[in-house]
Amino acid sequence: MMGQSPGQKNLVEQPAAARVGIKSSKKQAFIKLEGSAKETLEQGRNRLVVAGVLFAFCFVVLAGRLVGLAISGAGSEVDVEAVAPQKPAAVAVLDKRAPIYDRGGNLLAVTLEAVSLFADPRKILDAEDAAEKLSRVFPDLEPEGLKAKLSLRRNFVWVKRHMTPQQQKHVNDLGIPGLFFRSEERRVYPMGNLAAHVVGYTDIDGNGIAGIEKYFNSRLSGKNPKDAGPVHLSVDVRVQYALRDELSRFMSIFRGIGASGMVLDVKTGEVLGMVSLPDFDPNRPGDFPRDNKFNKVALGVYEMGSTFKAFTTAMALDLKTVSLRDGYDATKPIRIAGFRIRDDHGKKRWLSVPEIFMYSSNIGTAKMAEDVGPKRQKAFLQKIGLLDRPVIELPEIGAPILPPRWNTLETMTISYGHGLSVSPLQLSSAMSAMVNGGIFRNPTLIAQEGTAEVEGRRVIRAKTSDAVRKLMRLVVEKGTGSKAEAKGYLVGGKTGTAEKAVNGRYKRDALVTSFASAFPMNDPRYVVLAMLDEPKGNESTYGFRSAGWTTAPIVSRLVSRIAPILGVMPVDEEDPRIQKAMHMPTYSREKNNETF
Amino acid sequence: MRWQLTTCFIAMAVGFSYGLYQLSYEVQALEGELAGINREIEDNKQSIEILKAEWAYQNRPDTIQELTAKYLPLLLVAPYQVATFKDLPDRKMAPEVLEALDNPVPRRKPRFEWVYENEEEGTPSYTLASYGGNSVLQGQVK
Repeated sequence: MMGQSPGQKNLVEQPAAARVGIKSSKKQAFIKLEGSAKETLEQGRNRLVVAGVLFAFCFVVLAGRLVGLAISGAGSEVDVEAVAPQKPAAVAVLDKRAPIYDRGGNLLAVTLEAVSLFADPRKILDAEDAAEKLSRVFPDLEPEGLKAKLSLRRNFVWVKRHMTPQQQKHVNDLGIPGLFFRSEERRVYPMGNLAAHVVGYTDIDGNGIAGIEKYFNSRLSGKNPKDAGPVHLSVDVRVQYALRDELSRFMSIFRGIGASGMVLDVKTGEVLGMVSLPDFDPNRPGDFPRDNKFNKVALGVYEMGSTFKAFTTAMALDLKTVSLRDGYDATKPIRIAGFRIRDDHGKKRWLSVPEIFMYSSNIGTAKMAEDVGPKRQKAFLQKIGLLDRPVIELPEIGAPILPPRWNTLETMTISYGHGLSVSPLQLSSAMSAMVNGGIFRNPTLIAQEGTAEVEGRRVIRAKTSDAVRKLMRLVVEKGTGSKAEAKGYLVGGKTGTAEKAVNGRYKRDALVTSFASAFPMNDPRYVVLAMLDEPKGNESTYGFRSAGWTTAPIVSRLVSRIAPILGVMPVDEEDPRIQKAMHMPTYSREKNNETF
Repeated sequence: MRWQLTTCFIAMAVGFSYGLYQLSYEVQALEGELAGINREIEDNKQSIEILKAEWAYQNRPDTIQELTAKYLPLLLVAPYQVATFKDLPDRKMAPEVLEALDNPVPRRKPRFEWVYENEEEGTPSYTLASYGGNSVLQGQVK
């Protein structure tokens, strides 16, 4: 516009020009206008220019955008496809249920794709024929039930969930209209029965309904975006397998109805193995009775018997109501409130504290507890976690059963493990506090970072713990647990034989035998607990079925198997340094009597 | 002048649009390829998952125990059978080797080489050629 103004001026400056005239010139031809006509023309031209500029601008923008799109490719169909799945991922962090690993990275549970078959009954032409053909592919499906299903007036029924690729091929080959496949997720447990009670299982839709699967359901399924991902257990499949193998071997040797056991790291509280027999296959939990799914280690509570003497002795030594040199007269049974507390294989003489522990004297232990008193005993047991429901990453946790009253009689019976029912899990973690220098640590099923010691709370003095270690070693060296000896690994432990209480009475013929042990006793690293439910004696045990005969050998074999795996080096027991470290005088007065 | 400009513009427009379309199609083809590769990756990931599960299943401790019982005469490990690397006696090394180990000169990248230690016998033996490139060590390489 501005460029035209000089020309316009020219026009104005030529007054001689005609109203409508054409100045013929070689260079330019002008239509000269004046007045209103000129204004109108001007206006029209201005409008045209404005519109033109606008359009030009728009086209430039479009062209620019086109070039941009062609170069970057953003917004194309393929890209939209690629972007789309990212949006729901922000809600559900995992694309499928996360796996569960053991501490060595072995798979314990994993989700795989599996094909399921469903039908649209309205599209099926001949339900009877289809049912008959399908039941040939799936022998476990009844033709009648299938026919009824396929005749329903619905448009969706499941025919078979999670079939094998071969079955899928067969169904495809049948060519029945109205049958469709759908890809689904299926939880697979490659290790089968091995860690069934720990890992647990899921229902057919992939929701955890037992064990770790239930406890960490939201983490595994990714429902909680902040805490989603796989779970790494502290369990070691090698230890777990050795434990299960030995337990099931001895369960069948002694014809027990059940067995349980666990291996616990005393420095971190990590559970390396947890087995409850009989068990089940989490790949097909429906095929096993409910009793098999009962986790005897965490959910079951039992009167543990003499293994409690370790706690009673530690308590008495820690509170200094007795010293290792002291002892009690165990000549006669104690009569109290109509009960008689007696020893199974009584020595019928004065016994020192190490002797009481070594020969597992009920009388001596009861007297030891009586000196401590009910109040302090209760406080002590509370401190080592035997009176509360334990805390561990499992939904199936049994609470201890406390006696209705807690007087002198109860103090005496609890001192040797009767009248108070606790779970093997509680017993193991309390035992680990007894031997690891006196620190109680919560047991855990989750692998701990690094090898540093986990913080805990002190429950007994380090000196007391040292005495308990030596006493437990003494039991294996010279006492009731001699069959638990595993050469080179300095096993120490305490036997426990308890009669089962059924309907408020003790059943003489049904025992629960246990052996709570730790190794190596000069610097305990692991607590091993083995339990047998209703073992029966045989020729090899001369008919005996007490813990020293039935469960102690389990520990012996188990320790020999797992110690090299766990990196515990065997030591020479004859080494004077070891002998000195494990030295525990019995302070017996028997010899003195004999000499006179 | 004007028609030249116009022709020039038209030619440029044709040229650019051809180039851009070509580019665009190429990009689309690449996108398609990418999507295909991504699908393949997903597929392979799934196969890996299945293989991992299979691996875990085949490596169940009870299977391994069955196999050892069948093929190996193994019993419970006795304490005297347990040893560490520390218990092994020190292996005597040739002085040239020790010298080469002490040599602060940057070493060659480790790689696998055939080395003839004894030329008369001509028995081939191999060594990790990470001791450094001295001819002392490697002898004659054929």
